[in-house]
Amino acid sequence: MLLVHCPVCGAEGDETDFHGGGQAHVRRPATHDPANVGDAAQGEYLFMRHNARGLHFERWRCDRSCGKWFHAARDTVTMEFKAFYGITELPPRALMEAATGEWAAYFKDKLAAGKSS
Amino acid sequence: MSDVYHETPLSHCAPPQGLSIDLREIKDRGMIDLRGFASDKTFLAAAKKILGMDLPRVPRTSASWGDVKALWLSIDQWLILCAKSKVAELVVALENELGDRHSLVVDVSDMRAVIRLEGEGVREILLKGSSLDLLSNDYKSGTVRRMRFAEIAALLHVVEDQVFDIYVFRSYANYAWDFLLATARIPTRVKLFGKQI
Amino acid sequence: MSNKPYRLAQGGSHIDRTQRVHFTFDGKPLTGFAGDTLASAVMASGSRLFGRSFKYHRPRGIVGLGSEEMNALVGVGDGARHEPNLRATQVELFDGLHAVSQNRWPSLTFDVGAINSRFSRFLPGGFYYKTFMWPQSFWKHVYEPLIRRSAGLGKAPEGRDPDSYEQIHVHCDVLVVGGGLAGLTAAKAAAASGAKVLLADENPELGGMGDLTAGSINGACVIDHAKVIAAELLDADNAHVLRRSTVVGHWHHNYLMIFERVGDHDPALLASGAPRHRLWKVRAKQVIMATGAIERPIAFANNDRPGIMLASAASALVERYGVAPGVNGIVFTNNDNAYLTALSLKKAGITVRVVDSRARADGTLIERTKSEGIEVSMGSVISAVEGSMGVTGVRVAAYRRGQGRVITERKIACDFIAMSGGFNPALHLWCHNGGKIKFDDGLQSFRPDQHHDAVMAVGAANGTMDVAATVGEAQMAGEAAAKAVFPKARFPKFKSPEIKEPSRAPLEPLWFAPATGKYNEGNKHFIDFQNDVTVADLELAQREGYESVEHTKRYTTFGMATDQGKTSNINGLGVVSEATGKSIPEIGVTTFRPPYSPFSFGSIAGVLTKDLFLPVRCTPAYQWHVDRGATFEPVGQWRRAYTYTGNGEDRQASINREILAVRHKVGLLDASTLGKIEIKGPDAAEFLDRIYTNTFSTLKVGKCRYGLMMNELGFLTDDGVTVRLAEDHFLMHTTSGGADRIAAWLEEWLQTEWTQYKVFVTPVTEQWAQFAIAGPRARNVLAKLAPDFDISHEAFPHMSFREGKLGAYPVRVFRISFSGEQSYEVATPANLGRGLWDAIMDVGQELGIEPYGTEALHVLRAEKGFIVVGDETDGTTTPIDVGLDGLVSKKKPDFIGKRSLEQSYLKGPYRKQLVGLLTEEASEVLPDGAYAVRVVKDKPPMEMIGQVTSSYYSPTLERSIAMALIENGRARMGETLSFPVEGNKVIRAKIVDPVFYDKEGVRQNV
Repeated sequence: MLLVHCPVCGAEGDETDFHGGGQAHVRRPATHDPANVGDAAQGEYLFMRHNARGLHFERWRCDRSCGKWFHAARDTVTMEFKAFYGITELPPRALMEAATGEWAAYFKDKLAAGKSS
Repeated sequence: MSDVYHETPLSHCAPPQGLSIDLREIKDRGMIDLRGFASDKTFLAAAKKILGMDLPRVPRTSASWGDVKALWLSIDQWLILCAKSKVAELVVALENELGDRHSLVVDVSDMRAVIRLEGEGVREILLKGSSLDLLSNDYKSGTVRRMRFAEIAALLHVVEDQVFDIYVFRSYANYAWDFLLATARIPTRVKLFGKQI
Repeated sequence: MSNKPYRLAQGGSHIDRTQRVHFTFDGKPLTGFAGDTLASAVMASGSRLFGRSFKYHRPRGIVGLGSEEMNALVGVGDGARHEPNLRATQVELFDGLHAVSQNRWPSLTFDVGAINSRFSRFLPGGFYYKTFMWPQSFWKHVYEPLIRRSAGLGKAPEGRDPDSYEQIHVHCDVLVVGGGLAGLTAAKAAAASGAKVLLADENPELGGMGDLTAGSINGACVIDHAKVIAAELLDADNAHVLRRSTVVGHWHHNYLMIFERVGDHDPALLASGAPRHRLWKVRAKQVIMATGAIERPIAFANNDRPGIMLASAASALVERYGVAPGVNGIVFTNNDNAYLTALSLKKAGITVRVVDSRARADGTLIERTKSEGIEVSMGSVISAVEGSMGVTGVRVAAYRRGQGRVITERKIACDFIAMSGGFNPALHLWCHNGGKIKFDDGLQSFRPDQHHDAVMAVGAANGTMDVAATVGEAQMAGEAAAKAVFPKARFPKFKSPEIKEPSRAPLEPLWFAPATGKYNEGNKHFIDFQNDVTVADLELAQREGYESVEHTKRYTTFGMATDQGKTSNINGLGVVSEATGKSIPEIGVTTFRPPYSPFSFGSIAGVLTKDLFLPVRCTPAYQWHVDRGATFEPVGQWRRAYTYTGNGEDRQASINREILAVRHKVGLLDASTLGKIEIKGPDAAEFLDRIYTNTFSTLKVGKCRYGLMMNELGFLTDDGVTVRLAEDHFLMHTTSGGADRIAAWLEEWLQTEWTQYKVFVTPVTEQWAQFAIAGPRARNVLAKLAPDFDISHEAFPHMSFREGKLGAYPVRVFRISFSGEQSYEVATPANLGRGLWDAIMDVGQELGIEPYGTEALHVLRAEKGFIVVGDETDGTTTPIDVGLDGLVSKKKPDFIGKRSLEQSYLKGPYRKQLVGLLTEEASEVLPDGAYAVRVVKDKPPMEMIGQVTSSYYSPTLERSIAMALIENGRARMGETLSFPVEGNKVIRAKIVDPVFYDKEGVRQNV
């Protein structure tokens, strides 16, 4: 039973008080350019997810308190939460740098652009 | 048809026997769900003008002015409590004052059942249905917390140290009531942290 | 079997000799003393037999002293209060206790299943996988029933459990698991800082093994020192001590469960209404494991005979209960600790010898033992045990590590054996939550290493076996745990006590004591007593190539079941190590899984049984439906009236009556369960355009529109009518089951994708009671309710909305129809719901109003060809599939699911499409879910081309109707399909338009 912390309202509680929303930072192509979304891009958006061993970034909702969505960085081996951050934000820079595999590839551009919360 | 017949969710329940705390339904509470951005100063000012107090902006706190209370529900949501007879008037006043500022005022007086628990050991009884750390300093008088209680959604309001109001959605009133009857029985009493025999 | 009195004349720290307790075991009346366990009281009566083993049905006695006991599983209590599989060593005696042994037939002393022992060559390791394989049909009818009858553990209780159970949550700063010297010391140290400390111990008495430990603390014996600390903790404001409470599992982020046996030991307490068990769900900031260590048995030939027990168990019998394990015993050991047992036995007047496998050892305890005149044979092992229902003697042989079979032996007469192969730290809880462990050569066992959560281990659980080091590390751990929670905590200065204890010689591993014959010639060296796994089984598994220890575990069943390897794990690894030449750390350990020891289903259910089994939701008029004799159906957690059979009709008759009332007169439906969501803000209309497949920005204020929702995959997830209350304000209706889901869905898109939208979403489902008045006389009913607004068709047309009053009742009225009839859905605040319902029924009486339930509702809508999301859709159904293309906007650039509808796999010609069905035989109703097949064959498999989604008898049309999703169905109009159903029957039905009644939609529009 994970212990989850909501960065929006500060509530802390069992994971059953929260709602896990799967992988974070998935971009919805149709929001940006609905007329030009290829089959491949749509397939990627709908079905393809990382399966990280170690550092992973995911979405949660503070289901039983403030009702707001947020992001979390979690180690999938030890279950330790490394950070909780806003739903419109990128992870802390140190975690983007620590990311490996598909996540490292995803954060490469963001780091280059110097964007971080 | 000249008059209405009014029935609260737990009006058919007899006063309970054999419990280690007092348990009753609060029948005359008016409730208004108020939405607006806490970052919107004009919204806050308009609310204050009507309610007579600043809306609480610290999570899980409450504020009061006279017999009106405001419970924090989220960063953009409050539950206003008042006498049931005052609700319509307050809703209209809020709507008029808020005008076309982004906001939403809804009378939700009938949406929830309100159960008052009072007495020594009330926190331990609630711990039979809630995984929150109710014995900690986070839950002093005035605290408000939405939570999962006995498998259902509930709103907890610490009225005083040993006086709690639990708000559950109306349809779950019987379930919540029966759960409390089962867990508050005298022989099941638990006293946590303190001198033991 | 001797019936000599085995109760010693004196001694027994746990018992009260002034209080006699009467009980029965297998029906035989016996007496014991208050404070006895079932095990000690039965042993005191002279009996040693407690059960039969699982596979071979060998007679078994007690081996352990507490929860590690693996043989003496008993059933306690009668009838509905019977509880099977309890350890006799943990069952506290009370007056009137009835206990029975298990796994024997017809009796303990004569057991038919014991024949398995003779045929044991046919029951080797992995026998489940080797035997009973063929013929296949024999498994179900012959082998399985046979195995179940002969191998089952206890019996389930009969009838509903009369006792109550409950759960409670608690948070603490520090949870200390185990109330022995280490746990008590750590708890006291942590509590001294003001930290909230919870301590749980599985025994009725605190102090752990302190009473069986040599040495002194500040001149007092260890147990007295421990009891002083225990008293302080019980008196402290910031500590809570749980006794008879086993920590059964440890999960992520220090979440633990404690199983408290509140009333098992005290029938009077239970009778007063106290719960039998209470399950504690604990979140601890810091955990200190002081779980102690479990003594290892030794594998020697026939080491399972009744009367062979762990040295610690023999000591406990003498010291705690004043019970002699026998009159003439042998202590068999590879370490110094068992010498304490020898001394204890000698002091109690029992004849005892020591057999020690070590060539030499020179600890203080050994010296004392010798000086007491006890015979000590070093460099020796027990090579075999004589006797079958008990021990009559042993054979002792000279031993050196690694030798083969024994050649010369000498016989010694004895009636019990106390064995000790060393101690294993109890690591189960440490490992449940991913703690790492390391092998310790001194212990010849594993001990805790790193843990990623805030967990520490102290005392024997940490492999620390001496008193002084235990006290020191427990004190430090307690302070460290409190400091981790309160970095500024201040502690009273700790004055190290003066501790005296004997010096000890190192132990020498002894995984297996060789015998003269082969293992399987009546010489069984048991490793796992509970699962009847022997050294030979483990060695066979190695020869057969089960190299991974996890495979060996599953193949032989060693370390499985309720025992979870408490006594067998390390011994098994030792045997595998010797068989493979690999070291134990190389082999690795098997996984420890929760629970540490079994706990009751009652505690898992808690109070959530009977009426509280599932949260049930009731509408404001619920009691009216009950009084009217409605039968109910669950819709999500709601209970909705299905049909009103109160007047003695059968269900079909009442459903038909209700339908016809709506078609010809007027009906009243409780639709309060419909989801209702207020949506307001400058971007509300644009937001709804993104959410629904059709357009809502064009809806006029005061008007209603039916909308469809898809998920991003293009599949239908919900539908309902939305009203525009004001330019920026909508009221959305969802399906009854979808209310919470859709509210969350709207929030998710607002918060995570279209964050620029200014829209508030407030669910108001429960604020309103809502009733549908439907039928040709609906407006007449409304008129009689004294509306304060114009209800004429012209002023209040179909698909529009009015807010006003009906008499004194404030209402929102929606002129919408799910029945195809003239229909008004009337909503009033929930607390007025019952009153308005009564008022409508009252005024409607002379118009022939009838309440109708959900089944009539479903038939009415099916007659009209309206879909129900969840019936006509199954999560892979698009709006196009159900023929609602017209509701999918071609103009809007983006809405949820739009892009997916264009994916090639949703456009193929073989999509299943919604059609109507008329059976050839008008009275025959297709079963719901029946399959249409391409070609009918004698037996399955047959190629399926679609399925019935809704099927009813329509009293309106006086024939059956159905809807179905059929491959390319719309192109097959007029075709007759075959539906094979149960009983080798085929129902044939013609594909028709799914709108069966009033195709033009005239009736709702008058």
